[in-house]
Amino acid sequence: MFASIVTISLAAILTNNFIFSQFLGICPFLGVSNKMSTATGMSVAVIFVMTMASAICWVINEFLLIPFGVAGFMQTVAYILVIAVLVQFVEMFLKKAIPALYSAMGIFLPLITTNCAVLGVVLLNTQNSYNFLESVIDGFTGGLGFTVAIVLFASVRERLEFADYPKAFEGFAICLVTAALFALAFMGFSGMKIPV
Amino acid sequence: MKKALDFVKPALILLLVAAVVALVLGLVDSMTRDRIEAIAEQTKTNAMNAVLEAPSYEQIELGADAPSDIDEAYAAEGGGWVVQVTETGSQGAVTMMVGVNPDLTCSGISVTESSETAGLGAIASQQSAAGDAFRSQFVGQSGTVAVTKDGGTINALTGATITSRAISTGVTAALALCESLG
Amino acid sequence: MNAKKQLTEGLITNNPVLVQQIGLCATMAISTTLFNGIGMGLSVLIILTCCNVVVSAIRKIIPGQVRLAIFVVVIAGFVTIVDLLLQAFIPALSSALGVFIPLIVVNCIIIGRAEAFSSKEGVFLSFRDGVFQGLGYTCVLVLMCLVRELLGSGTIGGGILNGATSFFTLDGTGAGIRIIPEGFGAGALVLPFGGFLTLGCLMAVMQYALRKSNEKKARKEKEVKE
Repeated sequence: MFASIVTISLAAILTNNFIFSQFLGICPFLGVSNKMSTATGMSVAVIFVMTMASAICWVINEFLLIPFGVAGFMQTVAYILVIAVLVQFVEMFLKKAIPALYSAMGIFLPLITTNCAVLGVVLLNTQNSYNFLESVIDGFTGGLGFTVAIVLFASVRERLEFADYPKAFEGFAICLVTAALFALAFMGFSGMKIPV
Repeated sequence: MKKALDFVKPALILLLVAAVVALVLGLVDSMTRDRIEAIAEQTKTNAMNAVLEAPSYEQIELGADAPSDIDEAYAAEGGGWVVQVTETGSQGAVTMMVGVNPDLTCSGISVTESSETAGLGAIASQQSAAGDAFRSQFVGQSGTVAVTKDGGTINALTGATITSRAISTGVTAALALCESLG
Repeated sequence: MNAKKQLTEGLITNNPVLVQQIGLCATMAISTTLFNGIGMGLSVLIILTCCNVVVSAIRKIIPGQVRLAIFVVVIAGFVTIVDLLLQAFIPALSSALGVFIPLIVVNCIIIGRAEAFSSKEGVFLSFRDGVFQGLGYTCVLVLMCLVRELLGSGTIGGGILNGATSFFTLDGTGAGIRIIPEGFGAGALVLPFGGFLTLGCLMAVMQYALRKSNEKKARKEKEVKE
């Protein structure tokens, strides 16, 4: 049990990082990594939504979709609805209950609905037939992996503004090339595993 | 009253759209389900036939004490076994079919599911000359199978020692299981 | 709005990937063989066109508050249909693309076009927009695949050409046509690293070309004025 949790966490944060090796969540990754403060705000929101979505979707799949025999074709529809509704609720709740946190991550919440890392983690949980605990851990550590990637990248990107590169590479192009180098660095983690 | 209506109408329309979508999906599913299941069955039989040819296979009930990396085991008609094993490669799970002769040597392997790196570890599952050459090394192996780096005889795929190691572990596990069955 | 303008927009001046810079995840993840690229591109084209038509047809009855939820449900519906059909008729493609087929739901191109175009325009225009934007997406994918596959594994048309039973195949056994001898390809290009790098360079080329053509246009206008 403990071993499988450690394995899942390690994969989600380092070896199978959502951004650098699975290409999930690239749009928000490039979109909000230009400043460290926005990057951390987005990360908190993503960790929260990914963990919650993993938990809720597991319950829905196990107790609603599978018993009714519609898991094969209603999964995607159900999951994306859960995520959309969840994001909406979190937004409303935070606005009322914790205004400070809302003002910190409020604007990122609507963006998360179309963050493929969230739907991705939920679909992969089902595909790997994780149990409830494993799903939640995968969601949480997947969010942590997203945070690691985006925070590292934001710190580099803040310096990119003063770098000298061909004009044609302005904007996302130079970011992608930089991300390529990160991906290469993260390759170094591949194959790491806990001896059990 | 008006306020309540403002809230109810969008919800009803959303519900209606969702219901229509569900209906259409149910229809498509009922048309494709048999075909999808048949394809899955066919793929599995093909993979089993590729590692150990037999007219039919009978699934063996595995006890609770079976190693966790063994998924399923089948006894082939006419002797021998086919074992489905899942090991951890460099990018995640690597699922393979291992054929075992009655004399407890490996009759062949095929990698059925993996997400190994394209161009490196993925060669292990490809239908190519390089893939065939790699997989054919396992034919005739017995006991503990390992890559040359670990003191064995299997030449690892270039740049994919971890994948090759995972497959060797899987073959060893399958051989050990058959020994206990056999 | 005429068809020609829409076509240029989709393919070049407002290309979804290279200019709008959306839908990047799948573009980088699956562009390792031509088979994946064409399959993914056409799947998105079909889903985008269907969604555009449906959203445009029901645009007058969609209430503003829940419009995104409705778009998402419609998109998820079409994505699942395509997913099931692929599993049933082209299983090799379905297993090669894996989780990226259901993930088309959150591909920003589709929800972006629904929000920006088809929820405002007529059915026919939306249909055309879907086809042309889808074509633009497919072209970029194919280009990415050609570059990464040729330089990375040294072949062209992997998965789809030179199959086990016939030259043109959909069963995923295609070995492709070998251009560079085995072992001489820059293997890193088929890794995630190569995805980021290739797309970054393509974007730079596009920005360079667009800027040059804009400068040329501006110069011409200036000359006319003088």
